[in-house]
Amino acid sequence: MLRVDNLVKNYGDFRLDISMEIPDGAVTGIVGKNGAGKTTAIKAVLGLIRPDGGHVTINGKEAVNLTGRDRELIGTALADSGFSSYLRVEDVICILRKMYPTFDEAFFRKNCDAQALPYGKKIRELSTGMRAKLRVLAALSHKADLLVMDEPTAGLDVQARNDILDLIRQYLLINEKCSVLLTSHISSDLEGLCDDVYLIHDGRILLHEDTDTLLGSYAVLKVSDETYEKLDKRFLLSSRKEQYGYVCFTNEKQYYAENYPGIVIENGSIDDLILMLTGGK
Amino acid sequence: MRGLIEKDLRLTLTRKQTILIFAVMAVFMSMSIEGTFIIGYLTMLAAIIAVGTISYDEFDNGFAFLMTLPFDRKTYVREKYLFSLMMAAAAWLIGTLLYFISSLIRRSPADPSELPMLLAFIPVLYMSVTVMIPLQLKYGSEKSRVVLFLIFGIIAVLVFGVSGITGGSSDAFAGPVQTLDRLSPAVVLLFLTAVCVLASIASYIASVRIMEKKEF
Repeated sequence: MLRVDNLVKNYGDFRLDISMEIPDGAVTGIVGKNGAGKTTAIKAVLGLIRPDGGHVTINGKEAVNLTGRDRELIGTALADSGFSSYLRVEDVICILRKMYPTFDEAFFRKNCDAQALPYGKKIRELSTGMRAKLRVLAALSHKADLLVMDEPTAGLDVQARNDILDLIRQYLLINEKCSVLLTSHISSDLEGLCDDVYLIHDGRILLHEDTDTLLGSYAVLKVSDETYEKLDKRFLLSSRKEQYGYVCFTNEKQYYAENYPGIVIENGSIDDLILMLTGGK
Repeated sequence: MRGLIEKDLRLTLTRKQTILIFAVMAVFMSMSIEGTFIIGYLTMLAAIIAVGTISYDEFDNGFAFLMTLPFDRKTYVREKYLFSLMMAAAAWLIGTLLYFISSLIRRSPADPSELPMLLAFIPVLYMSVTVMIPLQLKYGSEKSRVVLFLIFGIIAVLVFGVSGITGGSSDAFAGPVQTLDRLSPAVVLLFLTAVCVLASIASYIASVRIMEKKEF
C-alpha cells in the first residue's frame, strides 16, 4: 500500500532520512519526541512536501504526483489543519458530498448525531474534542483504503480520545483491508490500535517492531550498581544511571527473568521505548 | 472541482452580512449615481471577494488539509479562475439589471444596444483577477496587498511619467482612445476579451508554477 524508500528531507540543520513500509490492512504507528520528524514524514506521505531524495509511493505511485482520483482513496486527519473554521458542520457535509463520489452521508450524519456534533455551528465555535472528531469523521466517511492521521487525539480528554479511537476501530472492523498510518504522543492509543510501531528520533528510525513483540518481549530492568556490573549487557538496548542504580531497557525480557531472578522487571511500553531509546545513556 | 466550487460558495456566504451591506449600498448607488458605475463597482467587488477565498484557504494552516482532498494543485488553481469569473459574471448581471432598472425609474431608459460595451466590464475587470490570483498564491493575503499597491504605484508613476514626457496630461493617451472610439463596440469587446484570455492564460501558468512549488 505505502512505501517510503530512503526519504530525505532537509530543513536547515534538521534532516529526515527514513524508510518504512505499510502493507495492505496494517495499522502502523509512528512515535517519537516533539521535533523528531513524525509530522514531516506524514506530510511527505501525503505529498504536501517535496522530498530532497528518495521516494514515497502509494499503490506504486509517487505521493507528489497523486491525482484527485488517487486521493479519493486516502482519508486524512491532521492535528493542526482542517476545513476552514468559518464553515459549519452542515457545510462540510455538502462539500464532502461533492468532493467524494463514495461519501457515505448516512455514516457521517449517524456519527455526528452519536458524537453530538451540532450541524449548524461554525467549526470555530466547536470544542477541541468536537473539532478533532469532525476531522476524523471526515477522513472515515468516504471508504478510504489508506488512513493517514497525524496526532488525531492530541490535546483531548480521555472520553474524547476513546470516542475517536472507537470510531477508527469500528471503521477498521468493516474495512479490513484499510491501512492506517498514524502518529500519537499518547502511547496507550497506539498500543491498543497498532500492529507495528516505528520510533523516529532526530529524523532517523531507531526501531521498528511489532506492537505485540514490543509489549511481550521488551522490558525495563531496575538494578543496583552491583547487579548492573554483573549483568549480561548483550541484550540491553539502553541503560540510564539513576539514584538507586541503573534502569535498563531490553528486548529479551525472558532471558533476564530466567537468569536474574532477583531484579525488578517491568513490562515495556511505548513510553519506555521513547524514553529509553531517545533519552537513555 | 465541484467540491471546491461548493466550498468557495459556502465560504463566500459566510460573509453574507458584509455582502448584504454592499448590495444595499449598490442599490442606493444605482439610484443616486447616473451611468454605469454600479456595474463596474459590483463586478470588481465580486472579483475581490472571489479571490479573497484564497485567504480563507490559507487561514489557520488550512492549505495543508485542503491539499490532501481529492484534486490536484492544477485543479485548485483552475477553480480559483473559474470561480472568480462566475462571481464577476453574476455580479455584472445584477449590476446591469440595476443599471437598466434605475434608468427606467429616472425616465431616461438605457439603450439595450449599450450591452456589448457594458459586457466589456467583465474582461477589463477580470484582468485584475489575473494579477491578484498569482500574487495571493505567491505572497499570501497580507503581503500580496502590499505587492498589489506597489504594482499600482509603479503603473501610476509610469502613466504620469509618460504624460510628463509628452508635455500634456492627456495627449499621450489621446491617440489610442480616439482609435478605440472609432471601432465598433463588438470589435472593442472582442479585442478586450482576447487580451483578457491571453492575460488569464499567462496568469494561470504562473499560478500553477507557484502552487506546484509550494510546500505545506
